[in-house]
Amino acid sequence: MTAQSRAGSSSEWSPARPTADPGQVHELADGSAPIVTLKRRRSYAWLGLTPFFLYIAAFFILPTGTVLFSAFRKTDAGTGVTSFTGSNVSSALHGVYFTGIKNSLTLALITGVVGALVGLVLAWAIVSSTGNVLTRFVSTAAAVLANFGGVPLAFLFIATVGNSGLLTKALADHFHINLNSDLHFDLYGITGLELVYLYFQIPLMVLVITPALEGLKPQWQEAAANLGATRWQYWRHVGAPILAPNVLGAALLLFCSGFSAYATADALTSGAFPLIPLQIHAVISGNVLAGMENLGDALALIMVVIVVPLMVIYQLLQRRTTRWLR
Amino acid sequence: MVALTPTAGAGGLAETQTGGPATSSRRRRRPGIGRGLVLLICGIYFIGPLVGAFWFSIQDKVHGGVQFSAYAHVFSAVGFSDAFMLSLKLGIGTVLISLLLMVPTMLLLHLRAPKFRPVVETLCLMPLVIPPVVLVAGVGVVLAWGPNQLAGTPLQTFLNAIQSGKTPWVLILEYVVLTLPFTYRSLDAGIRSVDIHTLTEAGLNLGAGWGTVTMRILLPSLRTSVLNAAFLSFALVFGEYTVASILQYQPFAVFIVAAGQTEGQLSTSLSLLSLLITWLLLLLISLLGGRNSTKVDI
Amino acid sequence: MSSIALESLDTGTGTTVEFADVHRVFGSTHALDGLDLKVRPGELLALLGPSGCGKTTALRLLAGFDQPDAGSVLVDGEDVSRLPANKRDMGMVFQSYSLFPTMSAVDNVAFGLRLRGRGAGDRRKRAAELLDLVGLSEHLKKFPHQMSGGQQQRVALARALAISPRVLLLDEPLSALDAKVRAQLRDEIRRIQLELGVTTVFVTHDQEEALSMADRVGVMRNGRLEQCAAPAELYQRPETPFVAEFVGTMNRLPGSMVPGGVRLFTQVVAVDGVVPPAGSDVRALLRPEAVLVEPAGGQPGDAIVTTATFFGAVTRLRMTQPDGQEILADVGSHRAADFPAGAQVRISVLDRPVLVRPESEATAGTVPGRA
Repeated sequence: MTAQSRAGSSSEWSPARPTADPGQVHELADGSAPIVTLKRRRSYAWLGLTPFFLYIAAFFILPTGTVLFSAFRKTDAGTGVTSFTGSNVSSALHGVYFTGIKNSLTLALITGVVGALVGLVLAWAIVSSTGNVLTRFVSTAAAVLANFGGVPLAFLFIATVGNSGLLTKALADHFHINLNSDLHFDLYGITGLELVYLYFQIPLMVLVITPALEGLKPQWQEAAANLGATRWQYWRHVGAPILAPNVLGAALLLFCSGFSAYATADALTSGAFPLIPLQIHAVISGNVLAGMENLGDALALIMVVIVVPLMVIYQLLQRRTTRWLR
Repeated sequence: MVALTPTAGAGGLAETQTGGPATSSRRRRRPGIGRGLVLLICGIYFIGPLVGAFWFSIQDKVHGGVQFSAYAHVFSAVGFSDAFMLSLKLGIGTVLISLLLMVPTMLLLHLRAPKFRPVVETLCLMPLVIPPVVLVAGVGVVLAWGPNQLAGTPLQTFLNAIQSGKTPWVLILEYVVLTLPFTYRSLDAGIRSVDIHTLTEAGLNLGAGWGTVTMRILLPSLRTSVLNAAFLSFALVFGEYTVASILQYQPFAVFIVAAGQTEGQLSTSLSLLSLLITWLLLLLISLLGGRNSTKVDI
Repeated sequence: MSSIALESLDTGTGTTVEFADVHRVFGSTHALDGLDLKVRPGELLALLGPSGCGKTTALRLLAGFDQPDAGSVLVDGEDVSRLPANKRDMGMVFQSYSLFPTMSAVDNVAFGLRLRGRGAGDRRKRAAELLDLVGLSEHLKKFPHQMSGGQQQRVALARALAISPRVLLLDEPLSALDAKVRAQLRDEIRRIQLELGVTTVFVTHDQEEALSMADRVGVMRNGRLEQCAAPAELYQRPETPFVAEFVGTMNRLPGSMVPGGVRLFTQVVAVDGVVPPAGSDVRALLRPEAVLVEPAGGQPGDAIVTTATFFGAVTRLRMTQPDGQEILADVGSHRAADFPAGAQVRISVLDRPVLVRPESEATAGTVPGRA
């Protein structure tokens, strides 16, 4: 039980645990004793779960499914007849929306890769140096920025490096440096978005990768040293291969997180910068041409098509390493 | 988007016989310029904007110098109390509904219907995969059925009722979905850590009924994880922006952005306050949870 | 199986290890407080002691994972105290399975050879030989998570031996295994060690393990070596009360010194070695097998049997004397029926006590927690 729950907690994000074989009805997934005594009544147990399933169906599956469905529907403005079409998706892949997809992918890729690398190094620095109290401070702070950042992050940066930000002014007043023209930095453009996104991407990486780093047994390093390995050889032959799937998975997670983020970008650019999530908002708020009502749904479909497979891969990678790190 | 790790106490450093050669030898190693440099640079990057924002929020633009009016006048700002009360209402509503829905579901799942666990877990974690903006787009489409396809049916009345009125129920209902991953993880970890099977069997064995077992044994032993789930959900709802802004409501986070158009200092100070309060809340959870119990990662 | 190409392992033979007045302090704990110990070439030396006695610290200093605060660690007469772990050529087997999870069994074993620049074919061949030596020739391709704990420790042993270590270090390698596997692997480790003749230091808190495997056993206490001797000598002639009580089970009986020996019950029993002066009160440490028990035959006896515990060939009787003194005695199980709980028995001493100490000193040697 303890081993399993530890493994479970460090493998965030595994919907189906290895032991949760659908065929093993008689055994609990955590390997505890079969509940033979309750067997007779079990056939009715699913009834108790119906509120949950109904809720999920009504408030999650229905809206999400509807989006994916209406991405392929179009109402003819003249006749009022609704029919299947690929034109929404096709429009969503062209023109300004193509730019939006491209921008979102670029932003997600850059902040995902940089965030993963910096976050990995930072997590290592934290894991290998701090005491318990500081670790707790840092880990909760990271959790705040990664999970609850959103809008406030935008304002932190606006206040610091925005048009009338503190640093912007200080540089201009004292050094005659203009962030925009001299340093080619624009908080409200892609460079600014990258800078701000990293402010939650790096903490996210720290959170996700810390359990993996802590799971590296000191014995592995000692055993390697014992067999004659230098520190570098240990990392190259032992540490890196163990961490690789985790790091890759975490990078995918960061990519998806950057790709899906809405609040920070909206607050920072007032919804003006072409990114898919912001464009979806613009479209469904009615700022579009007639006959393109379902364009937002098509954009949403594109997001889902990009994000879901990556998250599934992330899952599989996480599950793979869980058994090594317990 | 993901992962909340209140404490890193569960690190698996093996204790050696004498109680600490591993840590001690680590301490003896030279501090490491690389590590120090990494911490320094990241420290500047993360603390810089916080300090900058704080300084910005207390500048006196008219007279020069320092003043704290942005903090002092938070409560008197136009629209603030409405937004704050709305967020409070949404938070409490979300917490209540999600606990009401999930606590019985999770208990049932572990005690009586373990074969449904993979399904339920996957469903509960899906809201992390599907971007909120996609969900809210779908909600918009469904709400639009009210005056159209569903006109004249009781469903139209229902859809109307959850949108209008003093409490935007549609937000609460969707927030329950958005907080499901957190709720699921907290309760799951809590249930695993107390071995409810043995507790239940012991209770039944001593002659207690199912009702008594649930109320007197199971719920009290899950107190910490229920509290944990409640705190996390509340914090998430309080900072939620995407769904509320697209559906055109104005709770706390949306208010901050709206105020930002005209009153930069107010928005900045509110941003700082909300980050600080959330952080304190998480610290509290992490202390409540202790180092060995529930570690909530999502 | 033993005739495989192991000649290259012979380099391990002949290595001596010496700890010379080694100190190591962690905060306020003196993990090692002047350890002096010599390990002879080719012998298996077990370091035995309760938790916190410093035995693991000693092993880690020898492996190079830690450095002494004072004193030196010598290998073949050369001071290696400051030599990094990866330059020491020592093979170590850890308590918790320390196999590299991303490598198969054969790759784990070949890892040390790979670091030494041996060709791929060469090192695979040698890894296969070593896995054969530990009885895992069927499992070359398996990954650690596909193997049982016992199998993992066998691979770990093969991995440590693959580099032809000067010294083999075993850090409680059997503690995580269940009883049956433990006994099996214990014999196997000893067989392989004898076959290869590699100098081996084995850390354990399990006295049975230490006594059954080692050429010599060093009993440690509070960072020092209490006694280092062959198992039989340690058992029969412990030098201190601590050793006497840590190794095996012991009675501590009050007695007094008289000319010719020690008076126990009504007998005078001869005593070896240095003894307290006549007339002084002593504690005599006496093995349960040195106590003879006979039925009192209806008469009031010396003691009453309280419990009888069956151990296979012998049954251990726990008895209480009228003054409250407890005595343990082993009787052949075929006689156990004569001594039910509550039976009156007569007690006499069969063999000389292993150690006699003045009353004051003996009590100071109490072992707080027995394994």
